Amino acid sequence: MLRFIGRRLLEAIPVMFIIITGTFFMQRFVPGGPFTSEKAVAPEVQRNLDAYYHLSDPLWKQYRDYLWDLTPKTFHPLALRDGLDLKAAFGIDFRPSFKYNRSVNEIIAYKLPASLELGGWSLFVALGVGLPLGILAAVRHNSWLDYFCSSVAMTGICVPTFVLGPLLVLAFAIHLHWFNASGWNSPIDRVLPCLTLGSVYAAYIARLTRGGFLEVLNQDYIRTARAKGATETRVIFRHALRGGLLPVVSFLGPAVAGILTGSFVIETIFQIPGLGREFVTSAFNRDYTLVLGTVILYAGMIVSLNLVVDVVQVWLNPKLRFE
Amino acid sequence: MRFHAPGFALIALLISAGCHRRSEPASAPGEAVLRISQRNEPDELDPALAALPDDFFIIRALSEGLVSPAMQGGEPTPAAAERWEVSADGRVWTFHLRAGAQWSNGEPVTAEDFVDSYRRALAPATAGPHADLFFAVANAQAYASGRLSDFSQVGFRAAGPAELVVTLERPVARFLDYAATGPWIPVQAGTVARFGRDWTQPGRYVGNGPFVLAEWRPNQRIVVRRNPRYHGAAQVRLGAIQFLRFDDENAEENAYRANEVDVTMALPTSKLELYARERPAELHQAPLAETRYLAFNTRRPPLDDVRVRRALALAIDRRKLAIDVARGGRQPADRLIPPQLRPADEPALAPAPAGGLSGPAADDEARQFLAAAGFPGGRHFPRLELAGWSNNPVLEAIQEMWKKSLGIDVAIFNRDARSHLAVARAGGYDIAFLPLIPQLPDPLPALAGFATGAPDNYPQWSDPRFDALVAAARTAEPARAGSLLRTSEERLLDQCPATPLYFNAQNWAMRQTVHGWQQDGFWNRSYLDLSLGAAAPP
Repeated sequence: MLRFIGRRLLEAIPVMFIIITGTFFMQRFVPGGPFTSEKAVAPEVQRNLDAYYHLSDPLWKQYRDYLWDLTPKTFHPLALRDGLDLKAAFGIDFRPSFKYNRSVNEIIAYKLPASLELGGWSLFVALGVGLPLGILAAVRHNSWLDYFCSSVAMTGICVPTFVLGPLLVLAFAIHLHWFNASGWNSPIDRVLPCLTLGSVYAAYIARLTRGGFLEVLNQDYIRTARAKGATETRVIFRHALRGGLLPVVSFLGPAVAGILTGSFVIETIFQIPGLGREFVTSAFNRDYTLVLGTVILYAGMIVSLNLVVDVVQVWLNPKLRFE
Repeated sequence: MRFHAPGFALIALLISAGCHRRSEPASAPGEAVLRISQRNEPDELDPALAALPDDFFIIRALSEGLVSPAMQGGEPTPAAAERWEVSADGRVWTFHLRAGAQWSNGEPVTAEDFVDSYRRALAPATAGPHADLFFAVANAQAYASGRLSDFSQVGFRAAGPAELVVTLERPVARFLDYAATGPWIPVQAGTVARFGRDWTQPGRYVGNGPFVLAEWRPNQRIVVRRNPRYHGAAQVRLGAIQFLRFDDENAEENAYRANEVDVTMALPTSKLELYARERPAELHQAPLAETRYLAFNTRRPPLDDVRVRRALALAIDRRKLAIDVARGGRQPADRLIPPQLRPADEPALAPAPAGGLSGPAADDEARQFLAAAGFPGGRHFPRLELAGWSNNPVLEAIQEMWKKSLGIDVAIFNRDARSHLAVARAGGYDIAFLPLIPQLPDPLPALAGFATGAPDNYPQWSDPRFDALVAAARTAEPARAGSLLRTSEERLLDQCPATPLYFNAQNWAMRQTVHGWQQDGFWNRSYLDLSLGAAAPP
């Protein structure tokens, strides 16, 4: 197992390198730059700006310097306790943002927690709603309960977040005044966004759980367990759960990454100060360092989540251990 | 088996949140707090470094320059300077600062502070994005470009603690308007030296304006509080202003309806009619000093032929375009320079062949121009590209008008805003939809943008007569400069490298309890007369 994890970690290095290199050069070939506006900047000013942001250096030199700034140089993970400062903890410097008067490290440290909190609660909603719905539907297969749960799931898949979000705002914030229409100040502000983001994933999870369980419940070993007189609860939780969850687990890797990176729409609808918005708007702003910072961060997350999923799958499915 | 889990997640969330319903922002009881939507997160609150008008929405609450823009148009009004005089030759301006004026940390505002601020704003190492707004001052351009390193040769001098002398390269008719722009707002050099680029954080920020910075939560809100040390503090009736961040007009409008914000930045065009019908007293509309125009790439055939350009310009029904398509109070434009940049008593332009608002009556003339250029009835006319940014019904309307009046087809091509501008500036387009957004009421920079080789010359146009007129206006006596600029605009409209479409306008929602809201057409605001009170009787 350790060898497996080690090999996967080594494989991640070239993947990250390709992502960084690709992003670095691709964005430079897009027309327009961080200082493009309808009125041209005076030539003197442009020169000063280019010098300040090291844009007057040749591209290969900018790339080399950037890679060096990115390379981890220290290892003080305990520094993370005082805040998400990757520079203090690992010596990773994402450089100053081109647009904001802050470094990309600071922007990530400030905004990632909001995205993680949004993602965490949404995942909680997704699993808390999706798993029970799916299990219920599978256990009461082809009953009205199954049809009900499946229709709820289908609706969840079909209604996109940018429709569900404003509908919830209209109903619960504007008409009923239960919640704020936007903002991220008090705990109650978390409810609507997390419900919106979580519901779509809940729907997928419900369908996957139902499918996985139906397959497992027809297996011989379940029939054996029932024949030996195990209670229905024991059959489901002790025998069927582990196998039935396999499809959900493989879905969760990309799903968690999607929840964390795909929160742009939710963050815009509810005005949440998260990183998802920066991920998208930085590209429009040609904020080169912020684009790279968010891409690297998200790519790192996806790579590590995939690794976690692979490990969990091996743990859940003994058959894989021999491969 | 029994499951109580389905709603469990929901219930847990609700319970955990239940006790904290609606956290109202901390504010002293009874204090008037105005909540304004801030559509763009400020890049900067440092006047020398800020680039966007949105940054100055907040900076102008915190600090003020020598003079402030007049919200109703006309000459800028006294701010940090109480009065000023100008020498007979119009080159030397002496500003007298207010006696006893203080920074928000209690230190006196001195002429030396202004000199220090301007040295910093111009220094190449600062890389101020709007340093060019100082270039009317003697030697400022040389200092900003690094050719001159001795700031004492630049035309700023503190003649006494409260007397600032500004020497210009040559008399400039609109100099006070330049001095009223955002980058001329001073900073306290000591504070900047102490904290470096981080001096704009709450607790550190030192300004000389009506409010002080109390809170800055990125992408959430910025709160400013009344500054008791401000020279006009007695006039300021608001206790605090909250600038709440919204980056989507629909989210902003939702928050307005949920009573979470008092003043919005805009309204979705689709909601304008609804507001006009149901909340007419809350719907506000104000003209902006901005022109939307079409640039023709004069290097590409057949657009290098002035008759083709005139035909295309004439076949656009601007009245229909502005009032039926762009809507929201946008006004059809018969010329390039918006009204806010022109004196009220200015004579009308000589009618250009492709001028006026056009309309169905001009179609015959347009067809004649096109036929004379070798495309009778639009036959053999190449399929040109009409480039824009974001989906814009205005472009579709123009496409339709050209099809109907001239029988020609154009293809619409959209890019993101920055790509569009960069591609257009490099001349990689046929016809481009572009904004002209002057920063201050001086038509010279706007027109000079169309001179040969100027970076804002999107049409890649080159006309010796136009260049000569603009160059003459640059050095002319202030009185004569106006008529030279008018003649150059006539020349431009006649040669038609660009054709104006409409003057932009802002639409926003504001509660009836907000009184004394003031803004001009250049995205400047004044927060001095604001108050919150009972809704005015209808």
